[in-house]
Amino acid sequence: MTYERRRRERVVALDGVSLEAGDAELVAVVGESGSGKSTLLRAVAGLARLDGGSVAIAGRDVTALPPGPRQVALVPQNLPLYPHLDVTANITFGEVARRTPRSERTAKVRRAVELLDLAHLLDRRPDSLSGGERQRVALARALVREPAAFLLDEPLSGLSGATRLALRAAVKRVQRETATTMLYVTHDPQEAMAIGDRVAVLVAGRIEQYGAPVELFARPATVAVARLVGPLPMNLLAGALAGRGVPTVGVRPERVRIVALGIGRLVAVVTGVELIGEQTLVRLSVVGAGGDVELLAVAAGTVSVGTEVGADWEPSDEHLFDVAGRRITATDPAVP
Amino acid sequence: MTRSRLAWPFLAIVAALVVLPLGVAGWLALTDYTGIRSATFTGATNLRRLVADDAFWVTVRTSAALALVVVPLRLALAVGAALLLHRGGAGVSTGRVAVYLPSVVPDAAWALLWLWILNPLYGPVSAVLHAVGVGDPGFLTTRTGAFLGLSLVLAFQIGEAFVVALAARAQVPRALYEVAAVEGVRPATVVRRITLPLMAPLIGLLALRDVILVVNVSFVPALLITGGEPLRATLVAPLAVYRRAFQYGELGYASLLSLVLFGMTAAATATLWAGVRALRR
Repeated sequence: MTYERRRRERVVALDGVSLEAGDAELVAVVGESGSGKSTLLRAVAGLARLDGGSVAIAGRDVTALPPGPRQVALVPQNLPLYPHLDVTANITFGEVARRTPRSERTAKVRRAVELLDLAHLLDRRPDSLSGGERQRVALARALVREPAAFLLDEPLSGLSGATRLALRAAVKRVQRETATTMLYVTHDPQEAMAIGDRVAVLVAGRIEQYGAPVELFARPATVAVARLVGPLPMNLLAGALAGRGVPTVGVRPERVRIVALGIGRLVAVVTGVELIGEQTLVRLSVVGAGGDVELLAVAAGTVSVGTEVGADWEPSDEHLFDVAGRRITATDPAVP
Repeated sequence: MTRSRLAWPFLAIVAALVVLPLGVAGWLALTDYTGIRSATFTGATNLRRLVADDAFWVTVRTSAALALVVVPLRLALAVGAALLLHRGGAGVSTGRVAVYLPSVVPDAAWALLWLWILNPLYGPVSAVLHAVGVGDPGFLTTRTGAFLGLSLVLAFQIGEAFVVALAARAQVPRALYEVAAVEGVRPATVVRRITLPLMAPLIGLLALRDVILVVNVSFVPALLITGGEPLRATLVAPLAVYRRAFQYGELGYASLLSLVLFGMTAAATATLWAGVRALRR
């Protein structure tokens, strides 16, 4: 898939997006709502028209094709199942409509049902299924299509905790078993990092960075990516405050050490303490040029709110950004 | 509590305008009331007469046949128009108005308009058919032709059904169509296997209402256009009851006939309702 562009009532939803997914690769597209990630998916599926650019699937230019012949399978975000049909009929709907021979159809369905553990649900209607079960049925339906590419639009939104984790594993299983390219759209960076072979970060219709999760985490290309990627958003400080001659300095909260007052680079007041697993997330307030700046730190022990402490980090943990928010690459830390 | 209180005025009106007349009709059905002399109780005399009254049962059959032809036609037109006009676009608003407009025309005016349209001597339909060399089936002059003519008159006042069908179509989520499009399902299959099944419960309700409507309003065109002729081909049951009551002055017997008609319409809609409920499961 290459350069795509879509104009929506004078709003450019996608602009200069170039995204290429390898064969059998799982590409996660992450962005906030309105970033154009769903439009990207719909453009690939053929549901949204492009004003320029092209879409190629499996080496074939499909820009001019309607959705059907593109041979993709879509798992949309909301109401993905036919409410008047039971689970079996939902899974086989496309196959029946395309007049696939019955024996072939049965074999495909059996495989999908096995892979997604749906055997006990086949006679049920969508309204009697849980959210997770519905998504599994939608995945099964995508699976029997034997598509050239899977397109998933926030398949896990609205699910919680354990169901989410289990289904994420199921999505990955389906993708591995079929060895088929998958485009997985989500607003959750954690999810994107967990599932994607590569992750594309979409901000306001443009791709900010596209690479392996570990690369995005270790070398965020822009401040937007730095904020988005990782379990906690990166601290972004004015260069002057951090004692550096660049516009912005970023430090991951995990790398900020709380030290005795007077030792560290900065003097800070503890404004909040939150327990995160075995560690503590400490909210610090630093006096900056334009007012107080919040700094996040992860500490092993606890500190009490209101204490004055020092904050410090290693120079090698710093990420430097220019005025436009782009990474200054000279001082890159090594990939861990 | 509040809800039931709000229902009171409505219940009072129904009692005064429906239940009370029904009760009176029930009493008159057992008398020889003519509208001039006071009613005399005659027991089951009217009932015995009804059993042997073949002429009346023929009119019931005519009404049933009319409903069987016209109701599916009306539903097909209303749903078809809704499917064609549910999306915005050039001319869609005009189209919607055009579909609704016949329902705004008063029934009597509508009937007289068709008397002209179908007229074999100077009507436009006849002229067009002759021009293309088909020939007029005798819309007002032959038995089949008159029945077809009456069906046409009743087929196009579908404004309300059209609006309901539009709403029903709007209820079908767009995501389903997108999934179907991506799966490469042909448009005709989408309509047959997604749109219509999902609209079915509401279409069923429309059918229910249309049976009642068609049986009742057929009175107006039957009276004004064909007068029940030729050879009683368009003598629908309500017209027959009307004549029995107000031309022959047999109000007692006509009361029984109207009750029978009421009962049969109720039975037909109950059967349909059972069908609709089965569909909903």
